[in-house]
Amino acid sequence: MNLETELRALQIDWPQTPQFELALARRRRRWPLAVAIVAAAVAAAFAVPESRGAILRFFHLGGVTIQVVDTLPKADERPLTSGLGPVISTASAKRAIHRLLLPPLDPPPPLHYTPGNVASAVSVVFEHAGHPVLLSEFPFGGGYLKKLASDGSRIEPAPVGGAPGLWISGPRHVTFFPGQSPRLAGNVLLWEAGGATYRLEGPNLTKDAAISLAQSLLRG
Amino acid sequence: MEGRPQNERELALRAQRGDARAYEELVRPHQEIAFRVAYVITRNAADAEDATQDGLVKAWRALGRFRAGEPMRPWLLQIVANEARNRRRSAHRREHLALRALSAGTSSGEAAPSPEEATLSADERARLLAALEQLPDDAREVLACRYLLQLSEEETAAALDVARGTVKSRSARALERLRETVE
Repeated sequence: MNLETELRALQIDWPQTPQFELALARRRRRWPLAVAIVAAAVAAAFAVPESRGAILRFFHLGGVTIQVVDTLPKADERPLTSGLGPVISTASAKRAIHRLLLPPLDPPPPLHYTPGNVASAVSVVFEHAGHPVLLSEFPFGGGYLKKLASDGSRIEPAPVGGAPGLWISGPRHVTFFPGQSPRLAGNVLLWEAGGATYRLEGPNLTKDAAISLAQSLLRG
Repeated sequence: MEGRPQNERELALRAQRGDARAYEELVRPHQEIAFRVAYVITRNAADAEDATQDGLVKAWRALGRFRAGEPMRPWLLQIVANEARNRRRSAHRREHLALRALSAGTSSGEAAPSPEEATLSADERARLLAALEQLPDDAREVLACRYLLQLSEEETAAALDVARGTVKSRSARALERLRETVE
């Protein structure tokens, strides 16, 4: 009997196969699974033409899909307030986002509503530590697509008060909001809490400052 | 490769539309082999369990990128095995592969010992497994996948994240090395 036959003939005393949780849609995970399907839909809606470069990696967080690509698509340099949509009332914003986060400012800065085919967003630009910051909030499953250059952009975990989060820093990356042309973006914190996805962007934000600001927004 | 259920494509399409029950049905036949592949890589049942569970979750998330009509098993094994490798790297530990051959007369619950196996004494089986354990990871894993788990070349390539040609060449070298050890 040759060695291959002997190996095949061995009956191994494998450890017992555990019972795995396959009822995934009904299971509470740190990152809700149903969101992944919606995120995939978002990705499809904003699919990157192959000519723009190979997709190297995917990240999903809440309603956000991040693709790391080797070549960035063309994008405009625009101010944070650009294309955020019409101003809406706080009551309307709360209907769109169940757990609406608001910067504790008096008077409150205007809230903008950005409708989209796949997802909509509520956004607000306000001043933090002397610099403008954009806070965008997406309902469960809402989202946009962000594409990042592989050489230099850093994507790292950044939990916010126990909620899953990601910090994106380094060279400018390209972000897609619903219904808008791509825009170059700076340092961004993404996190998911209470069934919504939140995004903080500020060119002068550090990771620690962004997390601290996010935690204060969550505390209200 | 074992026969693919004819409705696997249909299940995959339903699962891609968000049908969690279809996903359960789709991956259930493969969870045992996925766990064993993870066990070969992590050498630890607890890590293998975590890797498999995380892999099943990630596969669900990534289902949009699965091509319905392609075999599910290699795709799933690739994801689970990748989780297992990540877990092994982060654990920074070396476990002895706790593979044991079933003792004579013991039923695995799956199949009776083959005639070939019956011709190998318990000592010979133990010696063969001990020699396998001593091989470097690459060699041990490819032999375990190909011969102990009886994965196809395609499935082994997916699990080990290498080309099919690499599976062939690595298997040949690993067999030669194992032969030198046991003979």
